Amino acid sequence: MDLGISAFVIFFAAIFTNNILLTNFLGMCSFLAISREVRSSIGLGLAVVFVMTWTSAINYIVYYYILEPFNLVHFRFIVFIIVIAAFVQLVEMVIERYSPVLYVILGVFLPLITVNCAILGVCLFMIIREYTFLQSVAYGAGGGIGWMLAIVAMGGIRQRLAKAPIPKPLEGPGITLIIAGLMALAFIGFGGMIQIQ
Amino acid sequence: MLQTILGLLTLSGFAGFLALCLEVADLYFANYGECAIRINDGEREYTVQGGGHLLGALGDQGIFVPSACGGRGSCGLCKLQVLEGAGPLLPTETPYLSPEERRNHVRLSCQVKVRNNLSIEIPPELFLIKEYSARVERIRDLTEDIKEIRLSLLEPDTMKFKAGQYIQFQIPEYAGADEPVYRAYSLASGPGDPRRLTLVVTRVPDGVASTYIHTELREGNKVRVNGPYGEFYLRESAGDILMVATGSGLAPIMSLLHQMADQQIQRKATVVFGARQRKDLFYLEELEGFKERIPSLEVIFTLSRPSEEDRWQGERGRVTEVIPKIVHPRDEVEAYICGNPAMVESSEELLVRLGVPRERIYYDKFA
Amino acid sequence: MGRSPVIQSPHLDRVEQNLRSRPGHAHDFLGEDRRRLIEILTDDLGTVHAMGLTHEAVADRLERITDAARKGLGDPILLEGRFRTEVQEARGKLPCPWGHPGLYRKSLVTLFRVDTGESLQWTDLSIHLIRAHGFYQGKGSAYRLEPADLKRILEL
Repeated sequence: MDLGISAFVIFFAAIFTNNILLTNFLGMCSFLAISREVRSSIGLGLAVVFVMTWTSAINYIVYYYILEPFNLVHFRFIVFIIVIAAFVQLVEMVIERYSPVLYVILGVFLPLITVNCAILGVCLFMIIREYTFLQSVAYGAGGGIGWMLAIVAMGGIRQRLAKAPIPKPLEGPGITLIIAGLMALAFIGFGGMIQIQ
Repeated sequence: MLQTILGLLTLSGFAGFLALCLEVADLYFANYGECAIRINDGEREYTVQGGGHLLGALGDQGIFVPSACGGRGSCGLCKLQVLEGAGPLLPTETPYLSPEERRNHVRLSCQVKVRNNLSIEIPPELFLIKEYSARVERIRDLTEDIKEIRLSLLEPDTMKFKAGQYIQFQIPEYAGADEPVYRAYSLASGPGDPRRLTLVVTRVPDGVASTYIHTELREGNKVRVNGPYGEFYLRESAGDILMVATGSGLAPIMSLLHQMADQQIQRKATVVFGARQRKDLFYLEELEGFKERIPSLEVIFTLSRPSEEDRWQGERGRVTEVIPKIVHPRDEVEAYICGNPAMVESSEELLVRLGVPRERIYYDKFA
Repeated sequence: MGRSPVIQSPHLDRVEQNLRSRPGHAHDFLGEDRRRLIEILTDDLGTVHAMGLTHEAVADRLERITDAARKGLGDPILLEGRFRTEVQEARGKLPCPWGHPGLYRKSLVTLFRVDTGESLQWTDLSIHLIRAHGFYQGKGSAYRLEPADLKRILEL
């Protein structure tokens, strides 16, 4: 509840010390499914950064200027999801119109972003922690970049593991979750460095 | 209570508002309006609704661009030159285009989206390709696993084609599917009878079309075909003609012979037809008929593994063993080879070694 | 006791859809096999490794036999004293169900072991599916190549 933290600190913290994926374990599904190689991970990561930043801004406005004044805060879950879904659809349309190359590269990743729980998570956290608008946007941007960092790192690790002798029962989701756990352990090292809530 | 209703109303209103925004956005962003497609520098022009792919847009206008993958972008056959209006090259196209093709603005028409006016180049042969409906006039067995299908064209009722070309036959079972299935068969009839098409179909185990044709197709059925396709046709020159075929590769050769007979072409011609045993030979009567109509024609059959009962007195061995007996170095010969690709390649190499220039060897490799 | 859910990437989901019901292929590549694609691939990979082989080695052997069999120019030819092989060609090319660039010739190779009487059949596409995707086709498919059969019949 400390509103005195600068937006920049929150931004930095959201990437490293309070990584939405490795600290809060949100956004795991597409993380597990798409992180097979670095290139696709970067593509998805960038899309998530874009959506997360904008939806945290939009949802902030919706919450404080529509939901609160009309006493509808208990609808925030539904409303946030609707906004995220609509935004992702809009982004798809715009990308398809103005950059067909990017649209083809992102492919099925674009609609996949809607179901990424990290995005809803960021929106809810910013409400719980009562961030200001600037802090919310910083948190959204940082959260996205942190998520992208995690998925790209995972992609790199899995690419290298492709030739390693992994026990058969662990191939695929098994080893990925173990790696995610190890990465989370590593990021715990950052814990306590910065207080953002 | 009031609170609940108010809440629900607001929520629905909000969702409705967002849906409206998306509709507006869709109309704005995804609406490409009407686009003009200019072909061959104004030879033809079409106006189509933007938003689809070029391959489909052309298909709707009756221009059949070849495709083996139904527009998925995995066959690379739908290449066309798009001079203007195609937008940036997509990563799905790059694997199929050589640097020279890229410089010449060649694109995959199944990946190019029609967003604005386009100017494209289409080879003239493509315009001749149309879709036809036809009735099965006759089905008869030529050998154990080869059937002859005779079709009479319904709509359009004539096809303009060159002897030696092939058509694509649509498999009716898949006619309603997203991607109808076609298989290519050479035409065994000649262009002199433009209302009829004759196909020679070998039964391939588990083959989509040949299984259907051999088991389900009946006389009187209506079918769809499109065509004609292919670069295998008789060249106009004075040299002697050598025609080599195995199996159903004899079909386009028969078409060439029809043309020679109809047009009274007097060039010296030799047909070498290779098969395994006597029972695998077919069109014996028809070939005799051609020998009467074309005095300069000679037909040589060769069996590679004749059985005892065949009591075969003719040539033995594969076609590659017979060719050297009839082609001599420095003969002015033009060769037309059709059938098994390995046979075609071996025959071609053999002919080159015997002094026939590669430019005068034409083949239909079933590939 | 419940089965653990099988998680397959969206890409393999699309490939599996292609393999099952794709117009353009007479038979279901997956035959009567009701398992998910990833299960079939993992299972066959395991069998192949357990036999001390790799997909590459199997594909190489099939390809070498196919090349030698082509010399028959459509007639059967006896290879290595015991494989009677024949290559039949059909017109046209097939794309790979995995959806990447490339078209494969429709060469049907039939192999018959004159000493044991066993036979196999495969196409150019089968060889590619084994080499690039480790896919031996589903059980019940007419072109299923059981790794154990391949090892025994081709003496890998």
